[in-house]
Amino acid sequence: MEQQIEIDQALANIQKLVDNIETVIKGKRTQIQFILTALLAKGHILMEDNPGTGKTVMAKTLAQSISGRSNESGVNFKRIQFTPDLLPMDLIGSHIFDDVKKEFIFKKGPLFCNVLLADEINRASPKVQSALLECMAENQITMGETTYKLEQLFFTIATQNPVEMEGTYPLPAAQLDRFFIKIIFGYVDEETELSIYNNYLGIADNLNNIHQVLSMEEILFLQGETEKVFVHEEIVKAVRNIVWDTRRHNDIVLGASTRSGITFLKCLKAFALVNRRTFVTEDDVQTITPAVLDHRLIYRNRDAKAKALLSILDKEMDRLGKMKIAERA
Amino acid sequence: MQIGRIHSWKKVTAQILLLALPTIALAFYLLWNVNQYYAVLKNEWFTQGWYFATGIVTALVFYGYRFRFITTAALLFLVYFGVYKLLGNITVGEFDAFFVSVQFLIFTFLFSTAWIAGYGFSRSRYFTVFWSVFLLALQIVVVSKTTDITASRLILAFAPVLVYAFYIIYTAELIRNMNEDEPGFAWFITKRLTGFIALAGIVLFSLLLLFQKEFKEIEKDWGGGQGKNNKDKGGKESMTKQNKDGSISNKDQTRLTGSLSKDKRLVFVAHLDSYFPDGKTPNPLYFTSTYYTKFDTLTQTFETDEKMPFNDLFTPNPSKIPLYFTKSDSTVIKNTNAVLSRKVVSTDVYKVILSPDEYIAPSTAFYCQPIPVENEYKSQFKSAYRAKMWVSDLNSAYFIYNPAGNQQLLDFQQLRFEKLRESNSYSGMDKKFMDYYTFMPKDEDYNRIRELAQRITKDAKTPVDKMIAIRDHFTSKDEFDQPLFKYSDNPGVPGIPSASKLNYFLFENRKGYCAYFAGATLFMLRSLGIPSRIAAGFLTVDRSSKNPGWYWFYADQAHAWVQLYFKGYGWIDFDTTVPDANTQQSPQPDGTPPMNTQKAYLVADGTALTVDTVAKRVKMKVSKMLYHDQNYPTDQPADLVLDVSIASITKDTGAARLSDVKTGTNIVAVSYAEVLKNLAPTEIDSFGSIVKKLPKPVPIDEIKIMETEQEKKEKKELAAKQSKSVNWVNILWITLAVIGGFMILLFSLPWLTWQYLHAKAKSNNSVRQKAYNIYNASMYYLNQLGMPRDFKSPQQFAQDTDSRFNSSFNAFTNVYQKLKYSSIPLSENEQTLVKNFYPGFISQVRKQIPDKTRFSRFLNIYNTLHYFTKPKIT
Repeated sequence: MEQQIEIDQALANIQKLVDNIETVIKGKRTQIQFILTALLAKGHILMEDNPGTGKTVMAKTLAQSISGRSNESGVNFKRIQFTPDLLPMDLIGSHIFDDVKKEFIFKKGPLFCNVLLADEINRASPKVQSALLECMAENQITMGETTYKLEQLFFTIATQNPVEMEGTYPLPAAQLDRFFIKIIFGYVDEETELSIYNNYLGIADNLNNIHQVLSMEEILFLQGETEKVFVHEEIVKAVRNIVWDTRRHNDIVLGASTRSGITFLKCLKAFALVNRRTFVTEDDVQTITPAVLDHRLIYRNRDAKAKALLSILDKEMDRLGKMKIAERA
Repeated sequence: MQIGRIHSWKKVTAQILLLALPTIALAFYLLWNVNQYYAVLKNEWFTQGWYFATGIVTALVFYGYRFRFITTAALLFLVYFGVYKLLGNITVGEFDAFFVSVQFLIFTFLFSTAWIAGYGFSRSRYFTVFWSVFLLALQIVVVSKTTDITASRLILAFAPVLVYAFYIIYTAELIRNMNEDEPGFAWFITKRLTGFIALAGIVLFSLLLLFQKEFKEIEKDWGGGQGKNNKDKGGKESMTKQNKDGSISNKDQTRLTGSLSKDKRLVFVAHLDSYFPDGKTPNPLYFTSTYYTKFDTLTQTFETDEKMPFNDLFTPNPSKIPLYFTKSDSTVIKNTNAVLSRKVVSTDVYKVILSPDEYIAPSTAFYCQPIPVENEYKSQFKSAYRAKMWVSDLNSAYFIYNPAGNQQLLDFQQLRFEKLRESNSYSGMDKKFMDYYTFMPKDEDYNRIRELAQRITKDAKTPVDKMIAIRDHFTSKDEFDQPLFKYSDNPGVPGIPSASKLNYFLFENRKGYCAYFAGATLFMLRSLGIPSRIAAGFLTVDRSSKNPGWYWFYADQAHAWVQLYFKGYGWIDFDTTVPDANTQQSPQPDGTPPMNTQKAYLVADGTALTVDTVAKRVKMKVSKMLYHDQNYPTDQPADLVLDVSIASITKDTGAARLSDVKTGTNIVAVSYAEVLKNLAPTEIDSFGSIVKKLPKPVPIDEIKIMETEQEKKEKKELAAKQSKSVNWVNILWITLAVIGGFMILLFSLPWLTWQYLHAKAKSNNSVRQKAYNIYNASMYYLNQLGMPRDFKSPQQFAQDTDSRFNSSFNAFTNVYQKLKYSSIPLSENEQTLVKNFYPGFISQVRKQIPDKTRFSRFLNIYNTLHYFTKPKIT
């Protein structure tokens, strides 16, 4: 019973968090949900869009609302601006000679934090991008002979500009795979845009007034709860079907891997929780599939990119929607 | 104001060239065809075709612009109405007005049909299907009215429409899907069309080759191929028809087709008990088979009308009546309305090749008694019956061929004309009777006949004088002293029944056979207000001086003539057919008449129980008995043992053997035995006492097999087969009905499915089941009304629905999803939500979508298909 109340409280807090972010970032409710989904699924998120669509503000707002204004009480938030001349050392840190002790000591880089905002990640060279691989996947950094553990909560929010833009290096597939979810940020609708213009001063104020709504403990607790979300066998089957269909599709050169499937399931569970549910429904599948799978697939052409995954999803959703509910045993 | 276009000029041109032109061509063809059958159209198919062409082209151009159909069509009808009113005002004379208005009606009908067709081609996607079905149905109606169908005619009627149907459906779709901006689309369409036409040609041609045999069968069934069957026996068409068993009966029609038979076969022989007042000069009478009282104006044919008023046609089936037993009907006497100068006359008819079922006798017959044929004549005459008639003293076959110089007959003619002149008005007659028997169509063609009748009878005062005047017209001479009318079996009129056939006969060709003369006479008489009808049967020629009263009937004597009604005297035969100058009416050699001399003492009707072919004994169960000409009916059939050692066994079709008599066979046993002569019945005798009195076994001279069980069955099968093969039209209609039913079913399928799901959703089940049913029904309903879920998630879809209908579908969807995917049981609130959600939701949706929209959406089978098809991965 004690537990139950905590879950409810935590779920309510998630809602509060969403509302909190929404005071700054308007009309991006789904994107906020996706970010939280990645957070709860112990994954990382990649946001892609043109400059000036609010990616960085979003990341900052999120970090602030879970870390609070001061870094001591809450989570540790770091921000790195990626540039072409950035070196791996600038991220993970480096050994420096200590004049007093007469030895090399390890100076931790900005990666040793709870929430990392990797801004414009595709502006850095592949070398730097690869430096992120280990820490994102295994939460650890190996330097020479020593392996340094990262914090228990390590969440990367990366933003990138569309690959077509000048001065970008495309992320390697392995790197992309580390991001649980990739969202296209997109422009807000006309109404919201108008209200943003009318209140831009107020929004800046809001950003300064963001306060912490979710503590580190609560996030860790919710991450634990995510694992307990109930997934119906038909949903699991649907995940399997979708993954398989991406491999069989004629216009998809590279389909989803098994690891993607597992990530998919994790995201589903987290997304259900973000939507204050303790079970996964078709809705979750429908909403999250493109965000989870689209960046992992390699399509034959543009046309396929626009249609293939949607049609796979449509077929599976049709099956689920018309499926008769089984009497409970 | 600028009116927007729906189709580009290019498209409209394509529609006119590829859709309208073939349609116009077909319309010309169909109109030409229909004009052959329907008098009202007046053979102006060319003008009518132009009406149609104008209509369709105008409509295509018109609806290329953004016009609405309902308003423009209403406007069109308003114009029609105005012009109609105007026409009524400016034309002078009653006849002109009628004529012009009929023309105008034809114009409006054709123009409107073409207009609608043009609209359909321009706007409606499925119109071509309906249009093709409509044309096919039209062709079926026309063909069903045709009497003499041949295979080629059938093909000519259906093939163009069929080819057209395929062509138009295909081409309309082609034009709909064409992209007129694409360069070279004309070449593209030409290529496609050429391919299609080649394919259609090959298919049709091979079908024709494949089914040639079947077509011939149809032809045979419809009687058109009769001529080919009878080629060796006579002309193309005859007044008699061949039955399947080789016997003949009078043909069931006096349609003005073909030519008369030259068949010289003996059909039957009759002894007629009719003499002139001197008591020894035979007075022959025509033998009537049936009357044609009604004229079908559409097909220009005469019909036998079952429902004619004062029906005096007695039609028993002699083969169904046991020997010596009688069947009579006294109502026919009453129906003749004849009280003056009538007497009962009897005749014995001995059939040679006349069908056993046929009953033929001078009018007005009311009595039928089958009689046996004497042993020595059995090989020639198959069966016989005695008929009695209510005959007028004034009736006689002598009308056209007055034997010149026979003073007695001339006196008789004078006498009877004098008498008939007394009956010079029809006042006080039953109105229904008069209206029925003086009906004739009102039409220009018939007006000519009317004028002719009035001209040639202007001096005649009484009906009989008018009749004589008409006869005189037919027998008159022209300016070169040649007969004005000639007899011809081949009048040279095309085989198609046409509106002006009788006109052609009366005013131009003046050649024809009996049906022409009778038909023309009938219309002349009716136009003068004289009740008349056509009688069909056999004409009687007295050729025997040896055996007065005996008449021989040959197949070429089958005939048609008119009967006139005289008040008080009833129906009298008149024949206006002129003699055939080419064939000599040479008397046929007379045979010996099959006189019947024996007297039957015992006639027993019943079924055979046991047959002993060795001992020549038959045991029968007697159900009816005549003894010494007295009828002894009974309720309790008695067994009788018969001695058949000298008996002759007969059937309707001729001689038979004792072995043909089986248990259960219906037989009639007749005895002429002297033994029975002395056993005369007393007044107190009954059926039972006579059976007891009879010697055992009873000597029997004659056994007639009425019908064995097997024959009964065979006959039934044959009848079934015949009716089956004749009903081609029915089959076509049924096919059409099936197609129609299928269409209706197809269009009502969405609604039926909805009803099923709706009922399921309303039924009470467990919460899980109910939620599923409700969800399914709701999704189906919304989909059918044009709101498919498609790429939306269930919740998104529910939210959209709610914002549109102000409903609570989202709440329900959430509960449903919980039921479906969660392991947590529903709360109390959620359960009530499931229970109460559905009716309110549906009524909310219903309220906000107008009935018209819902109706049209529910006709859309594509929505339903969309709902049930699984999406494909593309």
